[in-house]
Amino acid sequence: MSSSIQAYDPEVDAPAHHHPIYDYDSGPPVDRGKFAIWLFLATEVMFFTGLIGSYLVIRMGSPAWPHPKELLAVDITAANTFLLITSSWMMVRALDAIQKGDKGGLVKWLGFTILGGSVFVGVQVYEYTVLIHEGYLPNRDLFWSTFYAMTGFHGIHVCVGVIWLFCVWIGAVRGSYTPQNYVRVELAGLYWHFVDLVWVLLFTIVYLM
Amino acid sequence: MSETHGFNTNKIFIILFILTALEVGWAFIPFPTWAHWGGLLVFAYMKGHLIFSFFMHMKFEGWIVKGLMVPTIPLMMIVVFANMPDTSRNDLLVYPLTTQLDPLAGQEDSGEIVELNQTERAELSREIKGAHGGGSGGGHH
Repeated sequence: MSSSIQAYDPEVDAPAHHHPIYDYDSGPPVDRGKFAIWLFLATEVMFFTGLIGSYLVIRMGSPAWPHPKELLAVDITAANTFLLITSSWMMVRALDAIQKGDKGGLVKWLGFTILGGSVFVGVQVYEYTVLIHEGYLPNRDLFWSTFYAMTGFHGIHVCVGVIWLFCVWIGAVRGSYTPQNYVRVELAGLYWHFVDLVWVLLFTIVYLM
Repeated sequence: MSETHGFNTNKIFIILFILTALEVGWAFIPFPTWAHWGGLLVFAYMKGHLIFSFFMHMKFEGWIVKGLMVPTIPLMMIVVFANMPDTSRNDLLVYPLTTQLDPLAGQEDSGEIVELNQTERAELSREIKGAHGGGSGGGHH
């Protein structure tokens, strides 16, 4: 009686890379990187909510609070806000360019985005320098400690964004991205838009209200 | 022109630009506080909504990505409103916000600034050392 069981032959039964191949994807029906970045951004929302929520509690509980417009350079910061919104728009153009296969456009718009972010950080450093020179240090009172905490943490996020975008830009210069492979550009862009979104709220709450 | 998902990014950008200009203008008009804050928050919401929906493409994402962000809304409300009693009932707190506490007595400080001469300062210094169990040397004199 002949057996139908055959000996295990690694050459036949297992592929060369020794990993089983499934005809379905066990992950969520969305790009893993995109899933991860949105999860990360959700935690970032909570981070900034903690800062803004604490600020509102401290401010509304304080018997007196200075008018930010009288202490802060709203005109310069408004220009800086325009700049960050513009850089966010340029990021949209960069992604749009690579989706259409325009590699040169990606390098150009990504470069402008990085430039915009760098100038934003530069203006913020200038603002801090002037304020510190005038004696407005973080330990002066609650207004200044909350001001430096919120704008400082946002500034760190902008710096991280600029470094991230620069890394993506190097890849763009080398021609690493194509209309079929641009997810890294998209992820960096999502982070950059989030940084812009947070600034829109901070500008209103810290500088104008 | 840049067209993505059927919307014009340039148009969104121009609207954001106009909204920011209007918002800054609104901030300098002497409204009552409720109108001042309310108007600014509406402007901030509109701008945030445009960036979130169009620049970040949330409007065009599937339920998984949208679902990731949904829990943040109640969590945000909890973070802010859990702290609100400290604000809304500030007058009823034993030590309302911004109360200065006297480190020696552990009671509310009047906040009055007292100029001390050298003798008084030395006396106060001795008092503080005494209150902290003889200072950093662990009580050895």
